[in-house]
Amino acid sequence: MVFEKEKSVEFRIHRFNPERNKSYLSTYRVPVRTGMTILDALNYIKDNLDGTLTFRHQCRMGQCGSCGVMVNGKPMLACYTQVLHLGVDILEVEPLSNLPVIKDLVVDVDPFLNKYVEIKPLLIKTDEELKKPTEFIQTPSDFKKYWGTSICTKCSLCYSSCPAAIDIEFLGPSGLATNYRFIVDTRDDGLSERLKDASETIWLCTSCDSCTLNCPKEIDCSTIVVDERSLIVEDGALVPRTTKDVLTNAFKYHNPLGMSPRKRTEWSKGLEIKELPTTGKTDVLYFVGCLPSYDARNQEIAMSIAQIFRKMNVDFAILGNEEWCCGDHLLRLGEKGLFEILAEHNASLFKKYDFNKIVTISPHCYHTFKNDKPYTDIGLNVQHYTQFISEAINNGKLRPVKAIKKKVTYHDPCFLGKRSGIYDEPRDILKSIPGLELVEMGRSKENSFCCGGGAGRIWTEEATPENRPCVNRTKEALELGVEVIVTACPFCVTALEDAVKVLDAEDKLVVKDIAELVKEAI
Amino acid sequence: METLNHDIIIVGAGIAGLRAAIAAAEVSNKIDVAVLSKVYPIRSHSVCAQGGTAATLREGDSYDLHAWDTVKGSDFLADQDVVEFFVKQAPREVITLEHWGCPWSRTDDGKINQRPFGGHSFPRACFAADMTGLTEMHTLYGRAIVQENITFYNEWFVTSLIVEDNIAKGLTAIELRTGEMQALRAKAIIMATGGYARIYLFTTFSHTATGDGMTIAYRAGVPLKDMEFVQFHPTGLVPPGVLITGGARGEGGYLINAEGERFMKRYAPDRMELAPRDIVARAETTEIQEGRGLEGPYGPYIGLDLRHLGEEKINERLPLIRDVAIKLGGVDPVDELIPIKPAAHYSMGGIHANIRTETLASGLYAAGECSCLSAHGANRLGTNSTTDCLVFGSVAGEEAAKHALSSSLRNFSHEIILAEERRIFDGILGSEGDEKVPLIRDEMRRVMGEKVWIYRRGDELESALKEIRQLKRRFKDIRIEDRGRVFNTELVEALQLDFTLDLAEITVTCALDRTESRGAHSRLDHPKREDENWLKHILAYYTKEGPRLEYIPVAITKWPPTMRAY
Repeated sequence: MVFEKEKSVEFRIHRFNPERNKSYLSTYRVPVRTGMTILDALNYIKDNLDGTLTFRHQCRMGQCGSCGVMVNGKPMLACYTQVLHLGVDILEVEPLSNLPVIKDLVVDVDPFLNKYVEIKPLLIKTDEELKKPTEFIQTPSDFKKYWGTSICTKCSLCYSSCPAAIDIEFLGPSGLATNYRFIVDTRDDGLSERLKDASETIWLCTSCDSCTLNCPKEIDCSTIVVDERSLIVEDGALVPRTTKDVLTNAFKYHNPLGMSPRKRTEWSKGLEIKELPTTGKTDVLYFVGCLPSYDARNQEIAMSIAQIFRKMNVDFAILGNEEWCCGDHLLRLGEKGLFEILAEHNASLFKKYDFNKIVTISPHCYHTFKNDKPYTDIGLNVQHYTQFISEAINNGKLRPVKAIKKKVTYHDPCFLGKRSGIYDEPRDILKSIPGLELVEMGRSKENSFCCGGGAGRIWTEEATPENRPCVNRTKEALELGVEVIVTACPFCVTALEDAVKVLDAEDKLVVKDIAELVKEAI
Repeated sequence: METLNHDIIIVGAGIAGLRAAIAAAEVSNKIDVAVLSKVYPIRSHSVCAQGGTAATLREGDSYDLHAWDTVKGSDFLADQDVVEFFVKQAPREVITLEHWGCPWSRTDDGKINQRPFGGHSFPRACFAADMTGLTEMHTLYGRAIVQENITFYNEWFVTSLIVEDNIAKGLTAIELRTGEMQALRAKAIIMATGGYARIYLFTTFSHTATGDGMTIAYRAGVPLKDMEFVQFHPTGLVPPGVLITGGARGEGGYLINAEGERFMKRYAPDRMELAPRDIVARAETTEIQEGRGLEGPYGPYIGLDLRHLGEEKINERLPLIRDVAIKLGGVDPVDELIPIKPAAHYSMGGIHANIRTETLASGLYAAGECSCLSAHGANRLGTNSTTDCLVFGSVAGEEAAKHALSSSLRNFSHEIILAEERRIFDGILGSEGDEKVPLIRDEMRRVMGEKVWIYRRGDELESALKEIRQLKRRFKDIRIEDRGRVFNTELVEALQLDFTLDLAEITVTCALDRTESRGAHSRLDHPKREDENWLKHILAYYTKEGPRLEYIPVAITKWPPTMRAY
């Protein structure tokens, strides 16, 4: 094919020669015009520049699921993305993750496709019923319940971007979603069987949303997993003990750690922080959250932020012992009833007291206040503390003046980054600290790799080290040669520090929260 | 190397292949069925089918009406005994799929919905939005993978059939992951490898739909039939050629020329946009040739107008093509015309087989697009192909199973395998010429697109035949860069080109031979249909010098040929 040249784009393709067992990089310049997809470019390379380049492709229209590749860190269908829409001059193309590479961009999809054999992807009916000569009746509204999920093409982009799928036992986003598609199909009679199939590994999902973000058919696997879990939780018998403990703790003590509600403000002793139930009114409601309230390591973050507020003369108060868990992890675990109890309580406090905005430490609290009922019914003004501090630095209200001479990288927490779109503010803060050298990880921003802490997994983690997302992520940071991983979520801090210990890398790498660095610098 | 033995081997895992596998495996769980496919089953081109699956389900419709529509649509070249059988089996297949979980779109009272479609006198296209093929495939796949006696050999590229004394004994295949040649024996073999429209450039086909099974059968001595009849689908998206379903017209879409006119009223005043595909494709071509095409950066095109359907209906009934038009065509059908023009879409021709899908070789069956029974004659109606694949996939599976239960495995000499290895690894992979496979391939497509397209002419066909033969000679001088064995896609491209060159040669030869116009085959120098001389099928047999042609009559049961107008 002959093209008009519109722009020349450089393709850096990560290849693998199986016969020499060698990984290497090949670079090509491709003349790209409007309408040219990544697949068109790969075909151009193979036809004109290098016949040995190997990749899969078939339908060219996003229906067959053959052509998944990673482009600049993001999994996508090569046939369904226009090169010029990516807006860059250099494209880094790699095979999909989480699957063994056979050659160049071709991966072994058997581990992924074998999941479907496990879940019985056809209607479960008795032999008698199958003899019916006419169709099973199904209304259009019942049809709509599962139609969106039934168009999954088994392209494996979700599986490739899934942090839980580093454990080969995990059914994967699409496997779980397809299982649910049959549960919800009114014609299916296999509910208990299907719940059992799902319940074995469904708890590994951390609700990071990568699957939903990358699905070419816009299937919301992340939410489907939560809905599937809620059926299992309702049923009760299939919930594993570790998860049950978390749910029971949250029910009894209003926090998933099972700590006494009366000890929720221990971290603030000596700091003389105002409590809203006493004062009734404040400018900023500082919503601390469970982990920073009770966990020793994260209490340091709670204190750091309080000290930053003090330095800025912010009029702030906490809810004190009246603060209950925001409920996010419980919601993601499928315990909708428990979430509602916790949320109603907090919501009633929000309605009762007088304040202008809520600032949270945890991106999980932030996310649920902004997105889930009953919080959304109140229309809260919520900020994550990185937004608050970033604004303050921009306005000159906060000046990081002391240098911190460290080479650092930033780990985007899933509930702050890909689920809430907050990528710039944390980076602006780090860039404003003198002496800090910020190096980005390969998997950053919306391609950030989950620490493995979400949806309660921080408390239920039982996987071996090589199957833990936090270990995978920490290895990535170690390879960068940085001294510090900085993050902005108490769960990420906990998970990553655990990984540093497991990898025996305490002398090489330290985990810090942004708030701690800011406090050092002001 | 060990020879792998199975009772039944099915080549191809699209709708026909998977349906055959399930049907054969259900006959008895003692039967062991193997499915070989050069792609993973759910990557098969069948997933691209959009519009629907035709079946007579409701009051007001009848088997005779469906059969008549099909026969008339075929321009009277379809074998009517096959058609009568076909329409009667269709409803059973639709219900069977539904029972397995196929998400058919529904009417308000919960029954399977059906929509109008080109050439059908009754709305009988069962559909799943506009992703009928995708959902049928995943339903069949879901059913097949839980069946214990079906084994899948994924990414195994079949290179030849072993037929001796007119008995199909086995086949050779390259296991792509290792690059090793493997030999397999079976008591019955079903070819379900799909069509070959990839001999053209502007086509709705996936990259690997190259008609391998047709050439393989042809070279094994089995004739191909009706190869001059290639269907050009009226609405291929400009520029990539991907399919915009005829369902878009079924839901009420219009075809517009540069003057804003619904020009179909001059070609098919009754059916308009819902006339059969060959008539619409010719109409569009004429409009463009006479200067009434819309102008665009990729040349002249026709506009498909869905704006009056409204966003809600488009999202409900045509979500895929909306997405495809936006992502690949740069237009949103809710507010803009979709740029389309005719694209090579379906092969009416294929491996000659009878109503029981038996070919002329004992133990060899053919079903789906790679076969020619003929259910579709000179032109296929939309939504009849997925039905064909289901109906005759079932038949092939059952027939092959019956045959397997009463036959035994046959031996063949090891020398055959060695010869095949030499042909491929020495002759093709090791060829030390200087011709490039992509260049020969693109040349073939250029020739076919210019001289063997919708309107054909004797002198152009002669010239095309010369050029194709020249390309076949040039193929002997290729050089493949990738000399590795593991997953060598460059070798696969070369083998596919080898197969398609033969199919191109056969297509042109038969197009040259048929000096009339019928269905999808239009000769400018023989513009009329001539039943006296040409109410027959052309068979093409392999010889070293090129295809040798024979003729067989068309089976007429109820409907003698009449004038075909819409």
